[in-house]
Amino acid sequence: MAPRPRVTVVDGDADTALVAAYERDRRDLIRRGIGLGGAIVAASSIPLLWSARNAFAAGGPDAEILVAAVRLERIAVLAYDTAIASDLLTPAFARVARRFRGHEQAHADVLTTALTDLGGTPPPEPRIKDIDSVVKGIGDLKSQADVANFTIELETAAVAAYYDAHSKLIDAKLLQTSSSIMANEAQHLVVLRQAVDRPPVPFAFENGKT
Amino acid sequence: MDVDSFLRDPLSRRRFFARSGVIVAGSSATFLAACGDDTKLAPVGPDESDLADVELLNAALDLELMAVAAYTAGAPLLKGEVLKVGKLFLEQEQEHADGLASAIKDAGGKPNQARASYEFPELRSQTDVLKFAVDLENTAIAAYIDALPKLGAGELRATAAAIISNEAEHIAVLLGALGMEQVPGAFVFGKVA
Repeated sequence: MAPRPRVTVVDGDADTALVAAYERDRRDLIRRGIGLGGAIVAASSIPLLWSARNAFAAGGPDAEILVAAVRLERIAVLAYDTAIASDLLTPAFARVARRFRGHEQAHADVLTTALTDLGGTPPPEPRIKDIDSVVKGIGDLKSQADVANFTIELETAAVAAYYDAHSKLIDAKLLQTSSSIMANEAQHLVVLRQAVDRPPVPFAFENGKT
Repeated sequence: MDVDSFLRDPLSRRRFFARSGVIVAGSSATFLAACGDDTKLAPVGPDESDLADVELLNAALDLELMAVAAYTAGAPLLKGEVLKVGKLFLEQEQEHADGLASAIKDAGGKPNQARASYEFPELRSQTDVLKFAVDLENTAIAAYIDALPKLGAGELRATAAAIISNEAEHIAVLLGALGMEQVPGAFVFGKVA
């Protein structure tokens, strides 16, 4: 068998239990009604997830991937904001959009903190026209179905981006968190597909490309 | 394997990947010490890391084969649209198993086979099956996320992530069928005891 090029993952003893504890704490605070607690808790908890020893990687491939991921998540937040502000959504769908918007914001917060811990600089806040760089046509949405189909495209693009990142990331905890975010975007896809009567789980391997 | 105790005993779940984790960590540590710098991309020879990948992939294959058996066992209790969903998910778990078996062969290993029987908890209703399926899917996700950083080949990590995302989608559908919040959190780590 021919040798394959490999990337050795740093910190193989990733502590999934710690990550889960973080998520439990965050959810618990949100459940208790501390609305802004998500962002605050996320920021204060991240040093547990992204240990100081990772600072060596400043400017490395993980930081570059994080810049792209932060940008993508912020664009998703902006897209959901735009959809929520439109008059196109039923109250039930608007609730779903607000919930998913909150998830995207939580992803952005976690990734931004990880990026700054690595010594990187977060990208500037996106503007409406920047959404076109991921999915075109947010200004042309005329119905709730249009919004659902648009956000399906957006979430699919995010899944594909995280899928690609998995062969490049070298930090173990960053890999795990990226997987957990990718899986969350995939769950969004289920709800959005169901909203427009599309098969909710069309592929056995959800990579955003098939 | 007693699946019920597996699901409820974190040590059982962690044991899936523990041995190969030691192999990976040990070989990486040796290599990195020789390099004197753990920040670089490390070209590891194929033999030992392929061996470690095979062990991890076979552990994942065991889980997928168990999931196939579980959906098969639960199908008689499912009705209508939920039965269609159960059959689809069974097929997708089988696709995962087939994909893992191919990857194991590609890495020079021998894929594990399904067990002759599995000990599942008693399932008396559609709701029982749905809840058990949620437990199984969550356990699989947690196991994959534990294993992910230990996989040597980048394409295997990406494939594992695609499987994790599919299992997460299953959970969203199953929770919906149970009348529960389909996407309960912003991060999907599976069930960690």
